[in-house]
Parts: sequence; C-alpha cells; structure tokens
Amino acid sequence: MGRIEGPAKVTGEAKYTADVLLPGMIWGKVLRSPLPHAKIVSIDTQEAEQMPGILAVLTAKDLPDLLTGRLVYDMPVLAIDRVRFIGEKVAVVAAEDPDMAEDALASIDVEYEEMPAVFDAHEAMKSEAPLLHPDYRSYAHAPQKFFSDIPNVHSHVTWELGDIDKGFALAKRVFEHTFNTPAVHQGYIEPHASVVAIDPDGRVNVWISNKMPVRARELLADVIEIPEERIVVHLSQIGADFGGKGSLMDAPLCYHLAKRTGRPVKMVMTYTEELMAGNPRHPTSIFLRTGVTEEGQIVARQAKVVFNSGAYAAFKPVPFVNIPGAKDAAGVYGTPHIRIDAYSVYANCVPSGHFRAPGDLQVNFAVESSMDMIAEDLGLDRLEFRKQNFLKDGDWVPGGPQLEEVRVAETLAAAVKASSWNQPKSQPNRGLGLAVSHRLIGTGEANTQLTLKEDGTIQVLTPVPEVGTGAHTILQQIVAETLFLPLDQVRVETASEIFKTDSGSGASRVTYVGGQVVQQAAGELMKLILAAGAKGLGCAENEVVFEGGRVVHSESEGSLSLAEVAKLGGDGKSALRVKKSLNLSEGPPITTFTAQVVELEVDPETGQIRLLDVVTAHDVGTIINPLGHQGQIEGGLLQGVGFGLIEELRMEDGQVSTLNLGDYKLPNIRDIPPLTTVLVEEELGPAPFHGKAIGESSITPTGAAIANAVYDAVGVRFHDLPITAEKVYWALQQHSGGEG
Amino acid sequence: MRAFEYREPDNLEEVLSLLHDHGEDAKIIAGGTALVIMLNQRLIMPSYLISLRKLAGLNSVDSADGALQLGALVTHREMETSPVIRDQIPVLAETFRQVATLRIRNMATVGGTLAHADPSQDSPVTLMALDARVGLSSSGGSREVPLDEFFTDYYETVLQPDELLTHVQVPLPKPHTGSIYLKFLPKTEDDYATVGVAASVEIEPSSQLCRECRIVLGGVAPTPLRVKEAEALLSGQKLAPELLHKAASVVQEHTDPISDSRGAADYKREMAGVCVRRALEQAWQRALTESP
Amino acid sequence: MTHTIRLNVNGKEHTVEVPSRRLLIDCLRYDLGLTGTKEGCSVGVCGACTVLMDGKPISSCLALALFADGKEIVTVEGLAREGRLDRVQQAFIDYGGLQCGICTPGMVVTAKALLDENPDPTVDEIKEWMMGNLCRCTGYYKIIESIQGATALEPGGE
Repeated sequence: MGRIEGPAKVTGEAKYTADVLLPGMIWGKVLRSPLPHAKIVSIDTQEAEQMPGILAVLTAKDLPDLLTGRLVYDMPVLAIDRVRFIGEKVAVVAAEDPDMAEDALASIDVEYEEMPAVFDAHEAMKSEAPLLHPDYRSYAHAPQKFFSDIPNVHSHVTWELGDIDKGFALAKRVFEHTFNTPAVHQGYIEPHASVVAIDPDGRVNVWISNKMPVRARELLADVIEIPEERIVVHLSQIGADFGGKGSLMDAPLCYHLAKRTGRPVKMVMTYTEELMAGNPRHPTSIFLRTGVTEEGQIVARQAKVVFNSGAYAAFKPVPFVNIPGAKDAAGVYGTPHIRIDAYSVYANCVPSGHFRAPGDLQVNFAVESSMDMIAEDLGLDRLEFRKQNFLKDGDWVPGGPQLEEVRVAETLAAAVKASSWNQPKSQPNRGLGLAVSHRLIGTGEANTQLTLKEDGTIQVLTPVPEVGTGAHTILQQIVAETLFLPLDQVRVETASEIFKTDSGSGASRVTYVGGQVVQQAAGELMKLILAAGAKGLGCAENEVVFEGGRVVHSESEGSLSLAEVAKLGGDGKSALRVKKSLNLSEGPPITTFTAQVVELEVDPETGQIRLLDVVTAHDVGTIINPLGHQGQIEGGLLQGVGFGLIEELRMEDGQVSTLNLGDYKLPNIRDIPPLTTVLVEEELGPAPFHGKAIGESSITPTGAAIANAVYDAVGVRFHDLPITAEKVYWALQQHSGGEG
Repeated sequence: MRAFEYREPDNLEEVLSLLHDHGEDAKIIAGGTALVIMLNQRLIMPSYLISLRKLAGLNSVDSADGALQLGALVTHREMETSPVIRDQIPVLAETFRQVATLRIRNMATVGGTLAHADPSQDSPVTLMALDARVGLSSSGGSREVPLDEFFTDYYETVLQPDELLTHVQVPLPKPHTGSIYLKFLPKTEDDYATVGVAASVEIEPSSQLCRECRIVLGGVAPTPLRVKEAEALLSGQKLAPELLHKAASVVQEHTDPISDSRGAADYKREMAGVCVRRALEQAWQRALTESP
Repeated sequence: MTHTIRLNVNGKEHTVEVPSRRLLIDCLRYDLGLTGTKEGCSVGVCGACTVLMDGKPISSCLALALFADGKEIVTVEGLAREGRLDRVQQAFIDYGGLQCGICTPGMVVTAKALLDENPDPTVDEIKEWMMGNLCRCTGYYKIIESIQGATALEPGGE
C-alpha cells in the first residue's frame, strides 16, 4: 500500500517549512566566518542597518550569552568573542526580501585576529594543539563521566568485554590495521529552514525542519529563555533528515529577529550553507588490533576510534556526546575479549553530526576490510573465516544485550546464494566482495494519544513527524490491525504540544518503540470501546465482542457502530481516549543482520569502477509495510554506494571546497547498480506483529563490500574512502611497478 | 544577486547599440543557465543585462555551401534532436546530447556556451575539432574567427565588450572521415568531463592511411586544447597502437590541467593520454566502416 | 527596476510586477503562492525546481521570472485536473516512487513531460530523461518502476 501522505506530496499540496507563508513575513540571512579560528575584534554593522529594506541587524552583543546544542550546550547562537570554523555564524540581518538581505551582508565589516588552527583530529589530540574549548568541562549537560585529559577530546567512551590483555595473551597472531573515512553530507534535498512568528499575546510559533519537535521545543525554550508552554512547534513535512535535522539550526535567530522587528521571520539555508555549515557524518579514523588463535579464532579485538567532531559537539544527541556506532568495532563476531575506545575530538572544521547509522559505516568499513585481510594472511577462505567466528545465541555484544535468535549465518548464506560468489571467475579485473553488519533495535521514548471521534474514526496523535520514512503509515497500519479496522478508518496526525518529551524519529526505533506504544494504546482503547458499548447495549462487558467494525452483543445480536459508541462517550460526556507513554531504555535481546555481496569490474587503464551486481540480504521479522520496507533498503543501499565510491566533503585547512551539488555529487538515476534484495524472514521480531528494524541497515556494509571486491578484482587494498577511479589508477600504477 | 537594468531588444541593431553604449557594464544573457549562477553568487555584477529572448533570426540551423550555419540561440536540445544535424554531422548531435541534463539543454544555447568559455564544456571541443568558425558582430561591423583562435583563457575569449556572437559555421565533414566525442566521467554520470576528447580522422579509402586528423581536448588546459603536433604524427600513417601511444604522449606534454573536484592535475594528464588513444581508435574505426 | 510580466500558469493568466532580479522559482512560490515547486540546490542540478515552460522541463531556479513573460508554465499544481491525479502522480503513490516527497514535484513534472513525448520509454530512456532529478530517499529503483507503471495507466488528469 502507498503511504498516506502520498496524494499531498504528488500534488505539491504538502507543506514544508520553506513553504510557510505568513502575512508580513520577512527574511533572515547570516554572515559567516571566512576564517577557521580567530578572535572577533570588531563588527561594524552601521552601513548595513541603513540599507533599503533592512529591518534589523544583530550580532552576539544583541543576544543573551547563551549556548545551545542537542545535548551538551557548547555552541553560541552567534559567535561571541571568537569563531571556530569557516562558516560559523557571526551576524544576522532581517530584510523585506532575501536579495536585500544579501546586499546588507556584503556591507558588514568584521575585523578578525587569526589564531592558530588545527584541522586533523589526531593533531588536535597532541599537547601542542590549540584548544578550541578550554572551558568545555563547564558547559551545561557535558557528561562528566566521559571527560578526558587528552587535549580537545570532549568525550571518551569505552566498551569492554572480557579482559583484553588476557585475550591478546591467547593470540598466536596479532594484526594491526588503520582506516580513514571522510565527512559526507546527508544530502537531503530540502535544506534546513525555520520560521518564527510571535503572537500579540507572546506565544512563540515555530515552524522548523526537525524530526524531534518535542525535544526542539525543550531546547528552544532554554536558548531563547521562554517557557515551553509559550512555544508552539507547528509541524511541516520534512524533506528528509537521515539524522541531520535534529538541531535548532536557525530557529533561535528567527526568534530574535522576530522579537526585534515584530514581524514573522523565515530563514532558509542555501545548499552552499548546508555543505559549509550543516552537520555531516564525522570524519573518522579507526585503528584495529586483532588477536587470532592458531585455528583462526578471533580471540581479542582492540579498537581506537577517533571521531572529528569539528568545532562544536552541539550536533550530537546521545547522552555520552560521542558516536554510538563505535561499539560495533568487533563486528558480527563473537569475540570474547574486546576493548573499544572512542574519542570525539574538537577541531576547526564544520561541526559533525548524525547521519544514518552514525559510526556504523565507518567502523564496519574497517572491520570487514580487516576480516578479508586477516583471512588472506592466514590462508583461510574469507567466507569460512567469518563463519567460524560469527556471533551465536548467548554471545554478548559491546554496548548491547546477550543475544538470542542470532541469524547471521542464514543471512550471509542467503546473500551468497543470490550472487555469483560460487561461480568460477570469468574475467580479469572483475571481483566479488562481501561484508556483514548488524544493528540493535532502537530504544527511547514514544508517546501517543488515541481518540474515538464522533464519526467513528480513530485519531492517532503522535509527536513523530513524517520525515519521509513512512512512519505514519506504519503507525496507521498497526492501529488498524490491532482494532480490526480498515485503514481509512484510522488517521494519524502529528501534534507536539500535548506531549512532554519524546525521542522522535531515528535510531531505528519508530517501528519498535513507537509501534509498541500505539499497539498498547489501541488495546486499551478497545477495552474502553467494549465497556462503553456494553453499557449502551445494556449488558455485561463479557457479553460483547468487536466484530465487523461494530460492538456486538453475542446473545441478542444487537450492535452499535463505532460512531454510536463515540456519542455515548466514556461517562456519557467525554470522548473515549487513551494517552500513553513508553520509555524503553533497554532493547530486546535481538539484533538485525545485513549481508551484502558486490560484484564489480575495474578498468585498469583509468581505475574506473563499474558495479555489475549488488545483493543485499536482510534478516527481518514480519514486514508491516513491504513497499516502505523495500524503499528503505534501496535508498540506504545507494547512500552506501555513495559513501564507498563517490561522496566526500572535501576540506583543506578547514575550508570546504565542494560547495554546491555540482561539486558534491550525489548518486543519480544512471549511477544505480543492478540490485537484488533477499529477505530472510521469520515471524520472530520483537516489534508489533514481530517486526524488526530496517531504517539503518542497508547503508552500512556497502563500503567494505566494495573495498573487498576491488581487492579481489585487482589486488589493491584501500584503507580510506571513497574509492575513486583516481585512487585506483595510482594504486595500480604502483602495484605494477610503474608500468603503464 | 545585485540589482540590474534589464533590456530585451527584438532586433540585432538594438542589441549591438546597447553593447556599444554600456560595454563592460553589460552582460548578454541567452539561456542563462551559467550566467544566473554567476549572478546569484555575485561573481559578476553587471549594471545591465541584455536578454536575447526576443531576438529573432538567430535560432535556426541552415545548410549551405558545404557547411552548417548554426544560429547562436539554437539550444542544446535542438542540436541534440535536429534531423539535419544528426544526419550531416552526427558527432555534433552526440556531443550536445551529453551536456549536463535535459533541463539545462532546453535552455542553454550554442552561442552562450562558446561565450562562457569554460574549458570543461563539451560542445566547444567538438566544434573546434570540426574546424568551426564563429561570427561576431558589433555596431562597427562583423568578423569571423576560427574557433581555435577564439578562446584565450579560463572564461575569456576574443569577444570585445561591444561584440555579440551571432552564429557558428561548421563545415560538413569530408568523406571517409570518422569523428567521436569521448566524455570521461569517472565518478558519476552527471558531471563536467574530467577529460573530454574530440577526435576526427580522415582516411584515404584505398590505402587506409590517415590523410588528416584533429585532436581537441577539454578540461586539461585554460581553453579547449588542440594539439597540432600530435595531429601531424598521424598524417600519412596507418592505424597502429604504437602510433596512438606516441600521439597520446605528445598530447600529454601539452596539457596544463588544474586540480578540482573532477580530478587532480596529474590524474587528468594521465587520462588525457588514455582518452586520446581511445578516441583516436574509435574515430579511425568509424572512418574505416563509414559507407562511401 | 520592476517589470510587469504576464504568464500563464497551469492554464490561468497572471499579471505580476517583479524586479528584474526575481527568479522564476521565487515568482511562482512567493508572488503567486504556488509553493509546490521546491528549491534544493539553487544551481540547476537537483531538479526539485523543475517546471515546464512551453512544454519543456527547465530549472526555475536558473530562470529569471522575466523569461516566463508570455509563456505557458506548468507546475506540479497543474498536473491533476478536477481532483483527478495525473497517471504519473497516481503511479508514484502506487509504486512507492516517493518517501519524503521533496523531490516529488520535480520528478512528476519531468516524468509527465517524458511520457508526453515518449509514451513507452525503455529503462535507459527513462534514466537519460530523469538523470537531472536527484532523490536521496528512494535509491531511484521505485521511481523507475513508477514511471513504467504509469505507462500502463489511463492518462487520467487531462
């Protein structure tokens, strides 16, 4: 079935934040720093203030000295006394139209005093590196437990299993490998936008491209110093998120401009601003040390994962302000002794944030590449080496539960079976590579309110906006199934004011936590319906059933429609309603596996890679919405291809050089590889109707599968991504001793 | 973008008169696909924008005296689909077809592309390999310039501030000539070429020796690069791998690429050699298999 | 300097006063309130801003509003007729050709122009025509299926 908001989207009726049009609305635009690290000596806005159509010009001195962030508050609304990255916001203007705003920006004069800057995370960790946030320990919500004495490291998290020293003592061979991945942008086609309009009574109306509106209201209240009850977050459609739209971005600035001018203010980032100052995937360096026994058993895995947080940590939402994907540094293998250290480091580049399966891609690229390398060194088949080390029921995973129902072997077998893996190698410069990953099912908080309306329909209120993943459709399906109703009798709407907190969309949690809360609420609502129906029919509750959309008295066969039950109400006056909240901090003892096989061909004269075939196999439970489920797989897979072959937010000395979509290339329709999806299904999932999670699966192992296939094709091993034709060409030149 | 005065003359004299009056302070806009980006980014800030939208007479494709005359306002999409072009100079239609995306091709013009003078563009490379000439007019008169004398540097041509490019003349290929435009795109199918090569080989049918050839490259120098030294190597020779390798080496020596998101300079230089070899090979094959 | 332009948008005549620097996309979205057309990249690459001008897909983010004077413009709002979706729109819903929907207006406008010119395109022809429309959510597979699916439906809308 198609998704419920489909008609509005295909006709252009669906409204996104930039589509909000209010009477008297004006435009805000920001001036950004051209330097990576500098003191602000002075800002002269006099000329700008006088220009035609300009209604306000603000700098930090016009705002309270407050910092903000998704968890730790370390980022100012406008740079206060210094700038820490090229692109940091320094001043903002409000004008009658965007062109006039731009005219004014050009006349603002900022005097800077340059400071030494550092761009590489490892360099930033050295004792002589300039410190970006000397006072970081005093920032609100900074997690003390994860502080570090290493310069510029604002968070150091460790995961351990067993005893790592004991593990290496058991190893016959020890391998060390290092890998690096760049910043990549989420590539959502809708840039960030926000609109703020302040009512005469002081109510602050906010429209924002943000997939966690309840949390957004909390954060906004803190940074603009207005109580939450006076803030209303209006929900627009979101033009995709992929983890990158969880912050306030320009909403606080819109508020201050609205307050100053008395007019509604809209700010829309240009795509250049997105590429310069969005919140891309963290550039990551992964060091792996692996201990293996004589028999090829991985007995110890030590990992040091260094994440370049950029100038601020403000875009990380997880309580330990680090990147959770680091905990998968032992991969899908039942390694008894593990120690993982993840460092999040400040440096003078664009602040990094979350992007679909944050940390998973980077770490999986390292882990699955090293598996092939170790297998080859030991003279073992790369498939068999993995199989003998796979996780099994009862194994623990770092940062996760003791697992049950582990189906990694079945998932990989399914991928291999659907590929050309077992066929004899046909042509030179062709290769096959595989990679396997897993993802625990997301936890968090979910809320809902279900109401039986007077027309007999069920209204489902959720604070989770539709970011494009089909979440609303899933919730609709779950409620409809639970209540034995046709889909069109259930309507899902977003509403944020009635809920106090919510984890929102993301982390592969919506179907699991969100699905459970609506399923439970629906069950409770059914009880209320039966009770009211029984009362209306003048019989006992145990004498009625729900059949054919009506409350039926099993003996007399008298019945009431839902509309009639609604009119009766709970106590004759108010609507039948259930409000429910679910907070799951612990996930089920289940993880979901993904296995991919990539077949490709390398043109040795140019280094160009052509993907011939991709198989992606997924270990799934019941699929609630097949069209939506497959859509998530396909979209994620192409993002994985982008990560492996094409995408790189190129930076030199903190300056992003790929500043529009003509230079930062996103895969297009002619770039797609032939794709086969294999679903390894069993009705075992823990989500409603035994569903599992799919949103952050297919993107993860593609990079490693490609790297492994390239090695298989031409014998060249890459330790960094993307694997471009240029890199392959030079590697082949070296490999063949410089022969053409 | 900065504010400007907009003019939309419907006759050539008025266009030229405006150019004469405002010269350096004015920019011509045709399809606008390159210009609007530059205006948006404030890379150029003219006081006057002279639009050719209403100008009649510059948007046709005519065949006369052994040449095609292309009006400057013919769009890429028209070049791609024109039966006359596809029949008489198919390599030209093939080249225009590979430019950017459909939307751009619906607006971008033959003349606008030449005047923009970005050496990574596709059509100037093929046009130069076909010995095209451009017609330039000003209120003081007209002149014709061979395309390989037209470009002077990145985004710079011999066009004077008061001149308008009005048409492009392309001689029909001689018999027994094979031509190809090879666009090397290592990263994604929608991009400027990392290296573009237009190769044209005319052979003597009985001996199969090369009479004349043209080798022009895009993306490897400040302007489209024609390498006469390499062309001379092929003259009077038979198609052979060593010959193509030698020609490729000579071409490489003449390249002067810059590093950008399409590739580092040294990679572009290497690929220039590879692509020249491949293009010459394919052009020669086309010449050999062409029906008499 | 402002100009008065007359443009026919989705069959309706409009007279608008615009400064010379006004882009067509801003004229459609803000002067005419037709926010169905979206702005993504602002450099004519992503295709979210696609409209038809005299039947041809163009990037409205690269066109001055003045270019549309005297022209017929079709935006996504003009595809459905009397509440009936065009077959391309219906197919995108049925075949999962959309997720977040931000690229969808540009996609359906471009796809409709394709089927108007080539009613039964091959997969390669679909890919070549649609190459300038970027989507980050779907991976394009279901967009291709949607367009193929549309060819089997009755034209609908008009």
